[in-house]
Amino acid sequence: MEQARAGEYDAFVAARWSVLCHLARLLTGGDRHRAEDLLQEALVKLWFAWPRVADEAPEAYVRTVLARAAARSARRRWWGERPVEELPEVAAAGDLSATVAERSRLEAALARLTPRQRAAVVLRYYQDLPDRQVAQTLGCPVGTARSHAARGVARLRQLLSDVIEPVG
Amino acid sequence: MEPGSQVDEIDGQDGFERRLATLMHGTLEPTPFEPRHRERLRAGVRTRRRVRAVYRAAGSAAVMAGLGLGLFLWPHGPTENPPGAPLPRPATSPAPGPSVSRTPSPATPPPNPPGTSPGPTPTDRPSSTPTTSYPPGGPATSVAPPPTTTMSAHR
Repeated sequence: MEQARAGEYDAFVAARWSVLCHLARLLTGGDRHRAEDLLQEALVKLWFAWPRVADEAPEAYVRTVLARAAARSARRRWWGERPVEELPEVAAAGDLSATVAERSRLEAALARLTPRQRAAVVLRYYQDLPDRQVAQTLGCPVGTARSHAARGVARLRQLLSDVIEPVG
Repeated sequence: MEPGSQVDEIDGQDGFERRLATLMHGTLEPTPFEPRHRERLRAGVRTRRRVRAVYRAAGSAAVMAGLGLGLFLWPHGPTENPPGAPLPRPATSPAPGPSVSRTPSPATPPPNPPGTSPGPTPTDRPSSTPTTSYPPGGPATSVAPPPTTTMSAHR
């Protein structure tokens, strides 16, 4: 029983790892380490909820845990960071392809939003969720979710105006 | 999920929003699920399992302590059952005793407090003489005495 559960769980995590990593990274505004911590926390919770959600929507469960944790992250003062002797790896100069540069600009712009605005925008435009599901995922009224998304997009419109040209 | 597969189905998107959605999907970089990720997940699951077990044990201990304390402090416990006041008698007692009699017989007058003379009470003699003195605030009984000349003279 436990073996079968572990096998199904591992298969799901391995199959959706890239997408979930990307979602976590967008939700944290490009902070890779925070994204890994968030995803780890969400997947550990998924393990204990697996008997309930395995047959329904495990990815929706992880998405909800991730989005809510990211949206309330600003209220947490400590992220479990510890000082280290050596700096973690930094991006090497010269390997900035167009995609990487685009992603960096997007993540930097997302990082300028409030956590709830960022979560609403990511759920709306990356997960392609309608307002009702965005609100359900964030655990807030539909109007509040719509307002967060609209304000976040308005801010991104200013920040990314030179990256995203207006399309006629 | 194809990048932007459902974008067109969402109403009210302008060009910027469609481009933003495409950009979010297009910046997805393939990240392999490595053994270190699996190990970290397993370690997280073990830690959380231990924490849950500790919480459960602490909760059970707290419940047992609360129950024990409640039983110890229970007023009708088996160890503490002191004889309290006698049970109230029924209103119509078959053998009324002298202590419950409300009509004193003339042969046995009610006892007076020590040090007081069995003089007349204000209720016995409403038309009291001016020499009858009351406390400055008036008598404690509900029966109001007639005003005396001494009290009106002080005002």
